[in-house]
Amino acid sequence: MSDLQVTLTNTAGISSVISFWVFVCSNAFKRWQNNLIRLGVIGIIVGFISLTIAIVARGIEAERFPLANLYESLLWFAWAIMGTYLLFAKMYNLKQLGWLASLTAATMFLYGSWLPAGQHEITPLVPALVSYWRQIHVPPLIVSYAMFFLSGLSAFIQLWQSGHIRSVLFSALAVVLSLLAVALGTYTSINSFYLQALFVGGSLIGMLMALFNLKHINQKFINREKADLYDEVEYRSIMVGFPLLTIGIITGGLWANHAWGTYWSWDPKESMALVAWLGNAAYIHLRIHKECSAEKLSLVAIANMLLTLLTYLGFNSLGFGGLHSYGKFK
Amino acid sequence: MSNKEHIVKTFGFPPIFRLSSFASVKLTITLLVLIAFSVLVGAWCPQESQVGKEKVIEQFGPNLGNEFIKYGIADIFHTPWFLGLIGLLTVNMIACSVQRVFPKVKSLRKTLPYLSTNEIKKIAFNRSVELEASPEIIISTLGKKLSKNNYKVNINNEKLTAEFGKYARLAATITHIGLLTLLAGVTITSWTGFNGFQTVRLDETMSFADSEHSKLWIGQLPKWKVYVKDTKREDYDNGDPKQWYSNLSVIEENGKIIKQQEISVNNPLTYKGVDIYQSSWGLDQLAIAFNKNVVKLNLRPMGKLYAAFVPLNENTILIFSIKDQFKPLRVFAKIPEWQTPRLLSEITVGKSVKLGDVNLSYIKVIPVTGLQYKSDPGLLITYIAFGFIISGVLLAAIPNRQLWAHVLVIDVKKNVLTIGGVSRKAKNAFEKSIEKIVMDLNAKFKSNDSQMQGGNKDQKKKEQYV
Ligand code: HEM
Repeated sequence: MSDLQVTLTNTAGISSVISFWVFVCSNAFKRWQNNLIRLGVIGIIVGFISLTIAIVARGIEAERFPLANLYESLLWFAWAIMGTYLLFAKMYNLKQLGWLASLTAATMFLYGSWLPAGQHEITPLVPALVSYWRQIHVPPLIVSYAMFFLSGLSAFIQLWQSGHIRSVLFSALAVVLSLLAVALGTYTSINSFYLQALFVGGSLIGMLMALFNLKHINQKFINREKADLYDEVEYRSIMVGFPLLTIGIITGGLWANHAWGTYWSWDPKESMALVAWLGNAAYIHLRIHKECSAEKLSLVAIANMLLTLLTYLGFNSLGFGGLHSYGKFK
Repeated sequence: MSNKEHIVKTFGFPPIFRLSSFASVKLTITLLVLIAFSVLVGAWCPQESQVGKEKVIEQFGPNLGNEFIKYGIADIFHTPWFLGLIGLLTVNMIACSVQRVFPKVKSLRKTLPYLSTNEIKKIAFNRSVELEASPEIIISTLGKKLSKNNYKVNINNEKLTAEFGKYARLAATITHIGLLTLLAGVTITSWTGFNGFQTVRLDETMSFADSEHSKLWIGQLPKWKVYVKDTKREDYDNGDPKQWYSNLSVIEENGKIIKQQEISVNNPLTYKGVDIYQSSWGLDQLAIAFNKNVVKLNLRPMGKLYAAFVPLNENTILIFSIKDQFKPLRVFAKIPEWQTPRLLSEITVGKSVKLGDVNLSYIKVIPVTGLQYKSDPGLLITYIAFGFIISGVLLAAIPNRQLWAHVLVIDVKKNVLTIGGVSRKAKNAFEKSIEKIVMDLNAKFKSNDSQMQGGNKDQKKKEQYV
């Protein structure tokens, strides 16, 4: 990796961490709140720009499309999260989503920087990936994952602003336990059975507890207007992510048909993407059905975020098999 | 959707037998969740059809592994459970689409009706503002602003309707047509398609008798055969394989050669809807003669080479090694005292050498080509379905916005504009954009004592981050 690229990537990582703390401080110091928020947004803008250049530089240095391994996909993921946050911030004047978006980007940077050095190096492609289909198939998928994360994060704020503090805490527990399972799976050699149990068990228990605690409402936190707004951001993120995921899955099929003569083979990663697709289709129909409260929809959006995490990172780190093992690093 | 649409007249049938009872979105959601769960299990548990039973048992141990095989967890995509869910989803989708989704196409032909101030005020989101300009000017300025924002605008005197993303109303229809088409394509392929893999030696023919196909398969396997006239390997300079080639002839039942083609990886032969792909390559047998006694030895792949082993006595082994049919055959011997086998001789094809009192002739080597074939009659329909699905979900990302306006005349200069509208998918963004337009108009045609009505929110607060 060239120095330029390292510097730019680090700038993006550090500015996302800084803007996270600036957003946190903005809640502590109400007097300077608006200025601090503006500063936080500027932090994300700086991070977004340097990351854009870093990705382009990497592509030029590697003389190939810079999306071929897990590390590169994490850069894209962070890039999409930051970019879409900026877009939504402009459309809706969003505040809280800023600290969650920068926290998510920072987490991805941290996860990426702890990966073995081999992931950071630019390596030649394995023959199976040498195809122009790669740049058609992979970017929509990674960006759709980022969209489903944004949707889940908005769902957290929606729940908070409608006073469902307990449900927020239990859903957060589900997310934290799942992330813990992914992290342990990546950096340790604990038996994947236990980690799978941690991921699935943590998600199920956390989300069910969040569901059962929906009746607890803390009046003090209620802000209907904001709750409404984040409900909409949650929905629109899915409506952007869903076509991207659809395109990603279908172009994957076209690639497979071109290369192996079959467009669908129930490969585990393929199947996981289908699970995420079905989960989000369920969300879309729940919305159309109109009998489901915004709060329940938020829980579904968070559950879909967990499915996305399982598809994107959980899959390789928790020891599922399959063709798409280029994401592996052990 | 009004409640009326849910009430469908039924005569006499118990509820479960009515088609309309399958038209519930609740059922859709339940099915989507159950299917998602089943696919998740299929992604987690290695599937017999891909890795074989042994791998399942190896991963979970004999007890659990055999249970998984017995209950279909290791082959979940072929279980009655899974196929039943897909079947129910299909019925559900057909019922729902016919009853509720497809009729939406009709609504496209209707234009939005013009509404009066009183009617607009009944819409959940509405704003009124007093402006100092004539109704014509107010309406045409509003119309221009909306057109700039990509609304389709219709004006009738002092009334206006506008719509953004009209065709987005077709999203569900197009997506569901696509999904039904996909199911049709997949069904056609699984009921009339077949596939298989066969290794064929040089100078031999392949038939389709051993094809794999589904249990419900209807149709006939092709009677024509494929003859392997030539097959070879091309290498990079460093000896790694670069490409495999097979020269194939299609032979009809009556023995006539219909078609000849050289195939290679990514360059298949297609005849009567069957694609034949080059998928692997190897050397299979070695024909040699010891003093005119011809023997055929089976070759085994050893790294980049192929080899055959002939034990001469308890201690001595003869080893034949060869790279491809154009390189010479190398003959080695190995006895326990030697660390490595020793090269005895190199023989080009058709030649002989003397080894002690034996005359060893290299007659020929027989290559084998791995041919993958498939017939996928539903492929075109499946691809058309992909097109519909992608278009449909892209359309669904566009929020449909409908808007009405009316200027109520107070006097020649002062008039009241009332504007209201709906956007199901992007309510907040829509309301913000309309409020901005109203404020712009207010600034442009300012009436001194004018105040925006209907906006119960403090506009200043709107400017802050939320
Ligand atoms: C299997 C049974 C299904 C049924 C009965 C069903 C039913 C419906 C209904 C009633 C609508 C609402 C139409 C409207 O009011 O605009 C809808 C919309 C939609 N459905 Fe389905 N659906 C099914 C499966 C699926 C699946 C598997 C997908 C996956 C892509 C899907 C994607 C969509 C989309 C994208 C929309 C449009 C949503 C929008 O415009 O906001 N549907 N569906």
